[in-house]
Amino acid sequence: MSKESGARARGDRQVGGLRRKRKAWSLWEERRVPSDYEVVSHRFHYHFRREPAPFDLDPNHPINRWYLKHREGSPFQVDDWEQFRDPARLTYKDYVTLQKDRELYVDQLIDDFEREDHYRRLPKAWVDLLEVLYIPSRFSGHVLQMSAMYWAQMAPSAYITNAGYFQGADELRRLQRSAYIAKALSLDHGEHLADSERTRAIWEDDPHWQPMREVMEKLLIAYDWGESFVATNLVVKPVYDALMNVAFSGLAEQNGDDLLHLMHRDFQLDSERAANFTVALVRYATERVSDHRRLLGEWIEKWREPAYRAAEGLAALFEKAPHGMAKEAVMDLVRASHRTFLERMGLA
Amino acid sequence: MPKLERSAYYDLTRDMNWRFKYVRAEEVFPQEMVHNPEVPYEEWWKWDEPYKVTYREYVYNQSEKDHGVYSVKAAIARSKLFDALDNGWKAALTAHYGAIALPEYLASIGESRMARFGLGASWRNMATYGCLDETRHGQIQVYFPYGLLDKHPQFDWAHKAFHTNEWGAIAARSMFDRMFTANDALSTAIQLTFTFETGFTNLQFLGMAADAMDVGDVEFGALISSIQTDESRHAQIGEPTLRILLKNGKKKEAQRLVETMWWRAWHIFALLTGLSMDYYTPLEHRSMSFKEFMEEWVLRQFLDMFRDLGMDPPWYWDIMRDEMNWYQHGLHLGVWFWRPTVWWNPDGGVSEAEREWLEEKYPGWNDTFGRYWDVITENIRNGQTEKTLPQTLPLVCNMCHIPIVTLSDPKQKHNAPYVSEYNGRRYLFCSEPCKWIFDVEPEKYAGYLSIVDRFLAGHIQPPTLENVLAYMGLTPDIWGRDADNYAWAFQKKVDQAAVGN
Repeated sequence: MSKESGARARGDRQVGGLRRKRKAWSLWEERRVPSDYEVVSHRFHYHFRREPAPFDLDPNHPINRWYLKHREGSPFQVDDWEQFRDPARLTYKDYVTLQKDRELYVDQLIDDFEREDHYRRLPKAWVDLLEVLYIPSRFSGHVLQMSAMYWAQMAPSAYITNAGYFQGADELRRLQRSAYIAKALSLDHGEHLADSERTRAIWEDDPHWQPMREVMEKLLIAYDWGESFVATNLVVKPVYDALMNVAFSGLAEQNGDDLLHLMHRDFQLDSERAANFTVALVRYATERVSDHRRLLGEWIEKWREPAYRAAEGLAALFEKAPHGMAKEAVMDLVRASHRTFLERMGLA
Repeated sequence: MPKLERSAYYDLTRDMNWRFKYVRAEEVFPQEMVHNPEVPYEEWWKWDEPYKVTYREYVYNQSEKDHGVYSVKAAIARSKLFDALDNGWKAALTAHYGAIALPEYLASIGESRMARFGLGASWRNMATYGCLDETRHGQIQVYFPYGLLDKHPQFDWAHKAFHTNEWGAIAARSMFDRMFTANDALSTAIQLTFTFETGFTNLQFLGMAADAMDVGDVEFGALISSIQTDESRHAQIGEPTLRILLKNGKKKEAQRLVETMWWRAWHIFALLTGLSMDYYTPLEHRSMSFKEFMEEWVLRQFLDMFRDLGMDPPWYWDIMRDEMNWYQHGLHLGVWFWRPTVWWNPDGGVSEAEREWLEEKYPGWNDTFGRYWDVITENIRNGQTEKTLPQTLPLVCNMCHIPIVTLSDPKQKHNAPYVSEYNGRRYLFCSEPCKWIFDVEPEKYAGYLSIVDRFLAGHIQPPTLENVLAYMGLTPDIWGRDADNYAWAFQKKVDQAAVGN
């Protein structure tokens, strides 16, 4: 695509040379030719800070008020969000192309392990642990999906929104694979593993899950767009992914479950893309408004302890694996990973 | 390939519903964002999509589809195909991109609202795909006209229209905002996916793709047919939502959601598709009139669907069927006359041969609309084109924001709009249903000013037509002109026959 627009840019003078033909959107401000990513993202959110209200209904219509309060009224503002670029610079086409290859890899992975009769060979004690630690994670993963889809729809620029959409879809990707594994395990180890009621009961009642459920439920009602973004992308998700991708992947390897080990290493690539986007957006905002360090710091403080408590609740289950990991070791990994992440933004 | 088929594990990918403990359900699903008419939450857990898909299937299918469409575009870009297209078709294309490309992206916001505030996990998952789909449709429909910028500056409006206060953009935006950008999740499911997509666009896109191929616009044909395949999937969010409402005794609420949107969709549809089918598409490529298309494709299948679901047709069904005889003709006359106020070049489309077709498809057309075109044609032939251009603004409906073209009493030769009073102000409407939609929920609309309200309130100073054009964001390189430089006014039927021989 980019070659083509470059060619057009070079050939943009009429033969007679009288009139310079338009080579970019009239609303594109720069002299250079926009990339394809910019052509299909730039200034799509015409409704942000529109007067008298974002949308063409009565200014007091509830959703106008909602956006005025939680988007335009958020303390997380800069003069211009339209210069922000996601480091991955994904268009829709790029995203589905990227993820198709990744899904192909996971399909092949599952296929390879299934040829070796993988599930049947897993020890019962490990499968018992998966029932309480791993299988219910589609609930928490779904909250992360919902939360990304929330801040994405509230974000002030399509450059931010689109990254949120892709992040939400990534969460759906992970939880669907987890649902697949639950069903596959159930064929060899008992139907209870694919019993929705039973899994829901663990999510709702098991004490190890309650701190996680609590922080996730509260995440859903953090409606200020800035706080929703910070709580999700700077705290809850990076902590959760360090636990459920990185630490869990290590635990699976230690217990001879190389399928889950490799799958979750792959999911961590999605998480790293979200992290790179987050770092870039935070740098963008703090470079423009240095006081945002304080604002972000306050939100991080508000969400950090509940997120760590949530991780601790589940870390206790890591100890119970046949080849267990000490709860403290798990938490050291999670905290160190989170600290390193925040340091990238100067927020540790 | 993994050994389990989708159906073996699918239910586990969509069972993430639970009872909230640390927050209240009403906080997670506030009324502003999802207007649930007191259907118990656990009823929504049964939400069952007719079309099932997993993420892996989604990215496999979609990457293949996108590569297909973009490679067609790349191939066409190196050809002269676009230059050979009929000017009327180009008008339809330019109007389409300005009114539809960015709104498709806005629909991703409506879908993401359902992905967050949908009341069941299966609904939220389907809307997650819907959100990605609409991101695709917005991006691809902006990208294609971007490639046409060197053909005509009007293609800039694929990106710009929604940033402006051009009247057609206001008409489209105010409807789309009501339908999805600023709509709650439940109403979006009924009004966007069921009423608009299932009712209108899914079929319209099929028709448009066929027409595009017929006139030789391979690029647009490939684009639209690819979009339609996504649309037919995510449009199915509406039906399960509707079924749950009906099962829980909420027929009245469901009926009202459909009725307050169907009419507005009809009006925008008549403006875009009506003009395109009855006037802009070259005569030799017209397979049916807009009225025939509405009757055979839209109305019949929607009535069948209504009957199957146990719903009633909207109360204004007969009013709409009457409008199908004349509304698009009134709009066409208005749009052509006020052509400097639109971002495309309207095709007069009333040569003698075309008038014959119009009379055949709409008996009586010559005596009603034909009379106005007689005067216009005469002025053009006498070189007095200035007499075919506007000096003033038309009246605009306070609901659909489309100029009022209704002759309430055909014997009176002036417009007599429908009127409502609310909070000490008069609001004017083009039709009884537009007035009714306002009267049902005036608080949603009352504070929003139409372009004429703004003119009268002094937002456009000094109040000249030139300033109105500037206010609408229109510049002389964009102003609509007659698509064929009035050639149709000089075309006699014999000329057509001669060309044919």
